[in-house]
Amino acid sequence: MEWVAVVPVALWVWATLVGVDLVSVPQSMIARPLVAAVVAGALLGDVLGAARVGLVLELYALDVVPVGAARYPDYGAASAGAVVVAAGQPWEGALGIAVAVGLLLAALGGWTMPVLRQLNSRAVARHREGLNAGDPRLVRRLQYEGLVRDAARSGFLAFVAIASGLFARSWVPLDPGLGRAMAVAVTGAGLATALGGAVRTAGRTARLKWLGAGLVAGGAIVVAW
Amino acid sequence: MTGRWHAFVRLLAVQGAWNYERMLGVGVGYASEPLMKSLREADPQRGTEATSRAAMFFNCHPYLAGVAVGATAASEQAGEPGEKILRLRTALSGTLGALGDQLFWVGLLPALMALALIVTAAGAPWWGVGLFLVGYNASRVAVSWWGLRIGLHHGPGVGRAIAASVLRRASGWAGVAAGLLVGIALPIVGRSLTSGMGSVEGASVLLLAGLGLGVALLSGRAFSGIRYGLALVVLVMLWHGIFT
Repeated sequence: MEWVAVVPVALWVWATLVGVDLVSVPQSMIARPLVAAVVAGALLGDVLGAARVGLVLELYALDVVPVGAARYPDYGAASAGAVVVAAGQPWEGALGIAVAVGLLLAALGGWTMPVLRQLNSRAVARHREGLNAGDPRLVRRLQYEGLVRDAARSGFLAFVAIASGLFARSWVPLDPGLGRAMAVAVTGAGLATALGGAVRTAGRTARLKWLGAGLVAGGAIVVAW
Repeated sequence: MTGRWHAFVRLLAVQGAWNYERMLGVGVGYASEPLMKSLREADPQRGTEATSRAAMFFNCHPYLAGVAVGATAASEQAGEPGEKILRLRTALSGTLGALGDQLFWVGLLPALMALALIVTAAGAPWWGVGLFLVGYNASRVAVSWWGLRIGLHHGPGVGRAIAASVLRRASGWAGVAAGLLVGIALPIVGRSLTSGMGSVEGASVLLLAGLGLGVALLSGRAFSGIRYGLALVVLVMLWHGIFT
C-alpha cells in the first residue's frame, strides 16, 4: 500500500522535473516524449507500453524547433499523463486515447509558456532601473524568481496531466474497434507530422537527398525484417 | 570552484528568467556575475557598469551563450570601451543563434533522437533513452564548456575564432546525419507501431500518413501535427458513433 501511495507523488515529481528541464534548467532533454514516457512507464510498471506511447508522441515532437520566442508544445508532463492512461492496458484499447490526451496536454503546456514569459517580463519591467544600475543581487533575484515561476508552472501542469490521465483511464477499454481505429489515426498523423517536419527542415538542400536515402534504407530494413 | 566553473554551472540555467523585454539578458547577466567578481573588487564603478551591460537585451542559442558570456567578461576585464562591448554582444547574438539552432535543434537533436527511436522500436527502450541522453548531453556540455573557454580566451576577437572552428562544419554534418537517420527511423518506427495491426489498419496508417504529408507540404509552417492528429481522432469517434 505504501508503494501505491508513493507512485503518484513520484510521477508528479518526475513530470514537474521534465517541465522545468524543457524551459529553464538544465535543458538536458529529459522532457522529450520518449524519455519522459519511458521513465513514467517504469514508475507505473509498464515500460514497453509507455515506450509505445513515447514513440508516437515523439513523432509529433520531432516537428518542433524550439527557437527563441516561439510558442511550442510542452510534451514532458503531457507524456507522463498519456502514460497514466495507457500503462498496464492493451494498446488496442488505450493507445489512441493516451496519445490524444497527450496531444491536448502538450498544447495546453504550450499555452502556459507565454504566460510565464509575460510574468518574467513584468518582473523585469518593475526592476528596470535597478538592472540598468548594475545591481548583481537584483540580477540573481530575478533569475531565481524566474526559476520558481517555471517550477510552479511545471508543477501545475504535472498535476493537471496526471489528473487528466487518471480521468481518461476510466474510459479504457473502449470498444475494441474504436480503440484500434484511434490508434491508427494517431499513428498515421504522427508519421505525417515527423516526415512533413523533416522535409520542411531539409528544404531544397543536400539534406533532402540524405533524407530520401534514409527513407529508402529504412524501407529496405523493414522489408528485410 | 573557480569563477569559470561557477559561470558554467549558471549557464545551465541561462533561460531561467527568459522574458520578452531582454530575452536571455537576465540569464546572461546571472552567468556572467562570477566572472566579474575580481573586476568589481578592483574597480567597483566599472564592475557595476559591466553587470548592467551583461544583463541587457541578448538572445542566442542557450547552449552557446557561454561564448558571449566569456567574450564580454574578457573584454570588460581588458578595459574595452562599453560601446564596443555592446556591439560585440549584438554581433554575437545572431551568429550564435543561427549556429546553435543548426547544430543542435535541427542537427544533433533529431539525429540522436532518430537513433533512440530505432533502438526503442527494436525493443530496447532503456538503451534508446540512455544512449540519447548520454550522447546528447555529452555533446552539449562539451560545446558549452568549449564556448565559455573560447570566449574568455579570445575576448573581442571571438568571432574569428568561431569562424575558424570546427563548429560550422559540424553543424553541416549534423544536419546531414539528421536527415539520413530520421529517414531510416521513420519506416522502422512505422513498422514497429503497426506490428500488431491488421493489413487494412496498416494500409490506413500509410494512407493517413500520406494524406497528412500532402497537407503538411502544401500548408508549410501553418501545418500543426497536433491539430491533424486530434482532428482524425474526432472524425474516428464521430464515424464510430454514426455507423455502429
